[in-house]
Amino acid sequence: MKSIITKIKPYSDIPGPKPLPILGNTWRLLPLIGQYDVSDVAKLSSLFYQQYGKIVKLSGLIGRPDLLFLYDANEIEKVYRQEGPTPFRPSMPCLVKYKSEVRKDFFGKEGGVVGVHGEPWKSFRTKVQKPILQLHTVRKYVEPIEMVTNDFIQRMTQMKDSNNEMPKDFDNEIHKWALECIGLVSLDVRLGCLDPNLSPNSEALKIIQAAKYALRNIAILELRFPFWRFFPTTLWTKYVKNMDYFVEICMKHIDAAMERLKTKTVKNENDLSLIERILAKEPDPKTAYILALDLILVGIDTISMAVCSILYQLATRPEQQEKLYQELKQVLPNNEPLTPEKLNQMLYLKAFVKEVFRMYSTVIGNGRTLQEDSVLLGYKVPKGVQVVFPTLITGSMSEYVTKPQEFKPERWLKSNIEEKIHPFASLPYGYGARMCLGRRFADLEIQVLLAKLIRSYKLEYLHKPLDYKVTFMYAPDGELKFKISKRNE
Amino acid sequence: MATSVFRIFSRFKVKYNLSNSTSIFRNNVITTSRRNIHTTSVQKHGEYEWQDPKSEDEVVNVTFITKDGSRVAVRGKVGDNLLYLAHRYEIPMEGACEASLACTTCHVYVHDNFYEALPAPEEKEDDLLDMAPFLKENSRLGCQIILSKDLEGLEVELPKATRNFYVDGHTPKPH
Repeated sequence: MKSIITKIKPYSDIPGPKPLPILGNTWRLLPLIGQYDVSDVAKLSSLFYQQYGKIVKLSGLIGRPDLLFLYDANEIEKVYRQEGPTPFRPSMPCLVKYKSEVRKDFFGKEGGVVGVHGEPWKSFRTKVQKPILQLHTVRKYVEPIEMVTNDFIQRMTQMKDSNNEMPKDFDNEIHKWALECIGLVSLDVRLGCLDPNLSPNSEALKIIQAAKYALRNIAILELRFPFWRFFPTTLWTKYVKNMDYFVEICMKHIDAAMERLKTKTVKNENDLSLIERILAKEPDPKTAYILALDLILVGIDTISMAVCSILYQLATRPEQQEKLYQELKQVLPNNEPLTPEKLNQMLYLKAFVKEVFRMYSTVIGNGRTLQEDSVLLGYKVPKGVQVVFPTLITGSMSEYVTKPQEFKPERWLKSNIEEKIHPFASLPYGYGARMCLGRRFADLEIQVLLAKLIRSYKLEYLHKPLDYKVTFMYAPDGELKFKISKRNE
Repeated sequence: MATSVFRIFSRFKVKYNLSNSTSIFRNNVITTSRRNIHTTSVQKHGEYEWQDPKSEDEVVNVTFITKDGSRVAVRGKVGDNLLYLAHRYEIPMEGACEASLACTTCHVYVHDNFYEALPAPEEKEDDLLDMAPFLKENSRLGCQIILSKDLEGLEVELPKATRNFYVDGHTPKPH
C-alpha cells in the first residue's frame, strides 16, 4: 500500500505563465502588447499544453480566480464525478453582474441557470429541466423545427448567386435560422427572422442585431477589457442596454403565451408546448421569462456556429457527405416529413456531428469551480480555482482516442468496437447535473437541418480552405460560400 | 418512521398549495390534465411513487441489492419510476440530474431475464451508459425503468465500487 502514496506537490508548483507583479496576467491578453490574442483562445489552450504539459495554471488575472487547464480525461472525469449536488460552473462574469447587480430588481433570487450557482441554481434548474431535457417534450418539436428549416432552405435557394453559391455573409443567415428556432422553443412564437425583406424597424431585425451583439463581445468584455468590474465602460453600458432589450422581448412574448394558455382547453399535458408546461406549473411567469432569456443568450451563437462548422466539414468531405446522403435516402425514400422515429434511424448523421464536435469542438472547453480542496495530477489544488476542461484538445489526444487525426464518424457507431474513445475526452455538452440544458434542442435543430438539406442538396465548398478560429465559438473563419446543387432523387 | 410520515405529509402540503396557486388553470387545464399527468408512465416528479399501491393487482415487488450486498425488498407498483421508488425507501441511488438524462448516477445492473423484459434503451441513455463507471452488459439507468407487471420480482443491483457522485457514505435524501 505504502508504495502507492506519492508526495502531493503544492499548488505553487503547477507550471504556467508567470504573472507580472501588479499587472498580473491580464496584460497578456491585451491587444498589441500582449503575447496572446484573445480571438484565438483555441491556440492559446493548445500552446499551454505543448509548453507546460497536462496541468497548467494561469494566475494573476484581474478580478477573477486562477484558471487551471486540465488536459487529462481521467482527471476531468474525477472532477465531474465529485462535483456534488450543486456543481459550480463558472461562466460569463458580465452576465452574472447584470443579473445579480444591475437588474437585481428583476431577477431577485431567481437568476436562471447561466451564471448562477448553489441553491438558487438548483431550485431554478429543478423547475425547468424535466420538460426541457426529457425526450417526450423534445419529440414534439420535430415538426415545428422542420417547418422553420424548410423556410430556411427555401431562402437558401433564393439567395444563391449565378454560380449556385451562397452569399459571403451566409453565416449571418444561419444565425437567423438559429434565432428563429430558439424563438419558437423559448417564446412560442415565429419571430419572422427568415423574412427576406425585413424593414429596419421590424422587431425581427432588432432582435437579430441584439443577438449578434450580445455574445460576440463577451470574450472581449471578459478577458481583454475586464475594467467594467470597477467602473462602467462604454462597451459595458451598451451590453446592459442590449440585455435590457432581450428581457423586454422575452416578457412580451411570454405574456402573450400566458394569455393564450388561459383560453386554451387542454386535455393532456402532452398538448402543451415547452413554455406552456412551465407556465402551467410555475404560475409566476418570471420563471419562463428567465428561462427564455437564458436559452436565447446561449442558444443562438452556439448552435449557429456549430452548424457553420458542420456544413463546412460536409462540404469539404464529399465521401462522407455521400455516405450521409445514402443514409438519408434510405430513411426518407420520398423525402417525406421527419418524425422522431426517422431521426432515430439516422445513425451516421449523428456520428458525423459527434466527430465534428470531437475534432472541432464549437465550445472549446467547459469548466467547474472546485468547491473542495482537491488533488489533481499529484498537485494540491485549493477550492475556488476554476478548472478548465479543454475538450477541443483532449478530444484529439491519442491516449484517449484511436488515431485522433483521422476524421472518421464511424468510430462513434455502436458496431465499432476496435477504436477507443475515452468517454470524458470529448464532451461538448458537459456531463452531470449541470450538463447543457439546451442540449436536446441543439441536437434536434442540427439534425433536422442536416437531414433536410443533405437529403435534397449536394453541398460543396470551392474556395480557399478556411482556418478555424475562436471568435467566442470555435468555427471556420471566413466566407461560407457553399455551392448547392439539387439532388435528382 | 416518524420522519418518513412527516415527509409524506409535507409533500402533500406542497402539492396542495401548488394546485391552489395555479388558479388560472383550475378551470380548464389542471383539473382535466392532472389525472393524465399522474397516470401516464412518462411524466413523473417523484410524488407518484409515494402513493401506496391501491390494490394487489398494482403491486410490483422489487429487490434492490445495495453496495454492501444486502437485499432490500420493496413493494412498488405499476408506473413507478425505479429511481424515485428507491428514493422513497432511502436506497442510495443518486439521480443527480433528476431523471433528465444528463448523468449516470442512478446506474444499476438488472438481474436475470429482466434485462430483456425492459424496453430497449433510447440512444441518449446508451450514450450516457458509455460514461458509467463499471459498465456491464446488463447496465441500465434506474431513472429510465418504469415498473410494469412484467417486471414482477425485478432484481437490481447497485454498482459496488463506484467513484460516484457524492463522497462515499452519503445517502441521498428524498426531496
